[in-house]
Amino acid sequence: MTGQTKGRGTLKSFTISLTINGEEKMVPVMASDTLLFVIRHHLGLTGAKPSCLNGDCGACTVHIDGRPMKSCLMLAVEAAGKKVTTIEGLQGTPIQQAFIEKFAFQCGYCTPGFIMNCQALVEKHPDADDQTIKEWLSSNICRCTSYAEIEEAVKSVLKKK
Amino acid sequence: MNIPGQKKKIRPDGPDKVTGNLKYLTDLTFPNMLYGKIVRSALPHAEILSISTDEAVKLPGVQAVVTYQDVPGFNGFGIIFPDQPVLCKNRVRYLGDALAAVAADTEEIAEQALQLIKVDYKPLPVVDCPEDALRPNAPRLHPDGNILHHAHYQKGEVDQSFQDCSVIVEETYELPRQMHAYMETEGGVIVPEPNGKLTVYVGTQHGFKDRFQLARILNMPETDIRVVSSPMGGSFGGKDELNIQPYGALLALATNRPVKIHQSRQESVRAGLKRHPMKITMKTGVDKQGNLRAHKVKIIADTGAYATLGPAVLDFAVEHAPGPYMIPHIEIEGFSVFTNNGVAGEFRGFGGNQITFALEGQMDRLAEKLQIDPIEFRQKNLRKANDPGPLGQRIAPTNGALEVLQAIKQSHSEEALVWKAAPTEKWKKRGTGIAVTMHGGGLGVDRVDPAGGRLSFSKEGKIEVAFGFEECGQGLLGVIEALVMKEFACEASDIRMVIGDTALVPVSGSSTASRATSMVWHALERMKDSFRTQLFELTQLVTGISADQLEMGPGGIWRRGEATTSTLCVSFSELAEKMPNGRSIHVHTSFNFPTSPDATVGGSHFLYAFAAVMAHVEVDLLTGKVKVCALDQAVAAGPVVTPLGYRGQIEGGGVMALGYTLMEEAKMEEGIYLTDNFDSYWIPTICDVPYQMNVEAIEKLIEGDPFGPRGVGEIGTVAVAPAIARAIYDATGCWVKKLPVSPEFLLKSISLGEMKPWM
Repeated sequence: MTGQTKGRGTLKSFTISLTINGEEKMVPVMASDTLLFVIRHHLGLTGAKPSCLNGDCGACTVHIDGRPMKSCLMLAVEAAGKKVTTIEGLQGTPIQQAFIEKFAFQCGYCTPGFIMNCQALVEKHPDADDQTIKEWLSSNICRCTSYAEIEEAVKSVLKKK
Repeated sequence: MNIPGQKKKIRPDGPDKVTGNLKYLTDLTFPNMLYGKIVRSALPHAEILSISTDEAVKLPGVQAVVTYQDVPGFNGFGIIFPDQPVLCKNRVRYLGDALAAVAADTEEIAEQALQLIKVDYKPLPVVDCPEDALRPNAPRLHPDGNILHHAHYQKGEVDQSFQDCSVIVEETYELPRQMHAYMETEGGVIVPEPNGKLTVYVGTQHGFKDRFQLARILNMPETDIRVVSSPMGGSFGGKDELNIQPYGALLALATNRPVKIHQSRQESVRAGLKRHPMKITMKTGVDKQGNLRAHKVKIIADTGAYATLGPAVLDFAVEHAPGPYMIPHIEIEGFSVFTNNGVAGEFRGFGGNQITFALEGQMDRLAEKLQIDPIEFRQKNLRKANDPGPLGQRIAPTNGALEVLQAIKQSHSEEALVWKAAPTEKWKKRGTGIAVTMHGGGLGVDRVDPAGGRLSFSKEGKIEVAFGFEECGQGLLGVIEALVMKEFACEASDIRMVIGDTALVPVSGSSTASRATSMVWHALERMKDSFRTQLFELTQLVTGISADQLEMGPGGIWRRGEATTSTLCVSFSELAEKMPNGRSIHVHTSFNFPTSPDATVGGSHFLYAFAAVMAHVEVDLLTGKVKVCALDQAVAAGPVVTPLGYRGQIEGGGVMALGYTLMEEAKMEEGIYLTDNFDSYWIPTICDVPYQMNVEAIEKLIEGDPFGPRGVGEIGTVAVAPAIARAIYDATGCWVKKLPVSPEFLLKSISLGEMKPWM
């Protein structure tokens, strides 16, 4: 952390360096800011969504050094020095294509979080069985689909690997 | 789901949704934007003695604080009766009532300011259940008393005909308060424009209705308000009524700066609509031959503190109380009752889910008493193609009821019996159940239910299709695109779709009541010939080729019979370039949703969709937990427009209904929610969904049916609960009459006798 800048309200803020989607950014944060807040408000990346802000729904999932993390449960200062990837940093991946083909979204609000989780699953467990897929995906909530389409999307990508 | 002859398509909103590029209205920011917060009532029922905002106004960073004194127009909202104060003056009736709103430089400051607003209350007795509200000495919650709406229907001599019945079942069913739980909570940005107008970027299911209500509140001409209402991160009925729009608008006008409000999940739970809790008593009798004779129904709905669409939800439940069955003697009475509980209103299924649970429960109990197979019993009593609707009204002829039952019967095969006999553990029991329903589309007779659309040929050479509908996630854009492509044999890239913006779209009515797909089809039917003719006339003018030699195809206009085999006569873009100055092609249509010509009961329907559901469950006798293993649905709703979208509506709806059946209840005690987030209100995750879900679409309509595709936004949620309940009975011998089915209830109710099956 470097330098003190003007805070919000009565609270002070600091500037930290965050590596987001491969780019290093200097961002003013307060000690209490969640990573989700900083990504959305200071970096203007609105792919990660607020929904429960409680770690229950997974709509805010991003990658921290390749692992899926609910960004509403992580302070921005904790992400300093780590590689943060948001949905905006994911371009043209097979899982994104599979979500389109399988209709694995409806309203799409949970989709960026789901895709970040699914992408990490595909990377970490290229041979995931049904149980592993269910365990991983149970950390995210979708209110529109039956999840069947999301499971099909994941499986179609695993098969291709 | 396999529907032959349908080319696989992607949804037009897909690419932007999987990349995070799509800006939801709560993602928007504007220069100079402020953040708004709303003070909600601390008590479920109280007199307001005073509201002091002095300290809040002084807080640095606070730009405006508004109370009832700052509402320039009518201080109330509500789609049917505007009985909910925008900002309360002297009384609060539930925890979601708003008292003040703050706009500040940051969300934290706005939050801090809320703490500085002092409200003095005099607590009033809390009416927390409809039975209490109906007592003569109950506190009056509204000037006309505590009954929001009383609905009644009678046919034949019900009490007398029970004497002719050989078997009668009487039961009271209890249905819970379900939360919509859309992933995107209510929110958006309200922007004052330099010309004194206002743009409201907030999701809703009926932009023009919001505009009307806001105009009344703000005392502004409707034409000075633009509502951008789409896209949305889910709604399911829950964002149909106004939510944060009035507060954002008042603050934006007070500060002349854009104001963003995005409710937290806690605020959303507290102030947002829910599905009506209902208590439904049904007494139903059959004669010796198993024919339904008499059906007496009483419905009590807890509508909470304000009206919104409570009256219409009750009317819908009353209408669907006889469902698809032919019963000569019927009496139905319903009361929608005010309480100090959370406001109940519009929610996917609209009263149909509650009443169908009760009705199908009756059918299963009667069949069991008669020792008749439940499918056979239903088959005997279901309506035929030309029978009247549930309240005796003429409806579009349809054989949907028998068709869906037949289809589900086939999946209810011998395999199911083998499956049933082989639970995974000795302490688990398996069972199957089926249920049937019919569900009306549109708002019904005697309701204002306009539809319409516009087709234009744009300056850029696009087929521009505009509807006053919203994309809530249901896939309406995909539906519009598919129907236009099919009609004009063009490509997706030839089309430009315009929806969800009152400045740009025609009146189409609401994106509710399973009506949008149906109305898009109807509108295109009315507009297609004129649009095509005008395009051909223009082509003739530009190319010299006679209009009667032309046809539309990918990319432009082709010679008839040669589309895609030879070369284009003229591309759409070239045609647009060569369009003479002053000439334009716009086709507009407006009409009403089709209604029954002889309906006597307001709100009753003309077009219906049908569904039959089969559920397989496994019940753990040690824990009382129910696992739904399979959930198959057969749906008769006319032609399928987008196969994967259709499947998504039915399966997704099925899982939402599975949650309703087994998991979800937004409990309240003395007017206070016992839940405020997803850690205490559980909705299904991937671990809760069945491993088998089949959807069979019955597309065939009665010969000569001119009404096209019926909507399927709701039908997939309606008959799931009774099918699961019947499967639980099949597995355990225990009748369920209250949802959600709790493990505690099952453990208490299942009689294991002396022998434990696993010992």
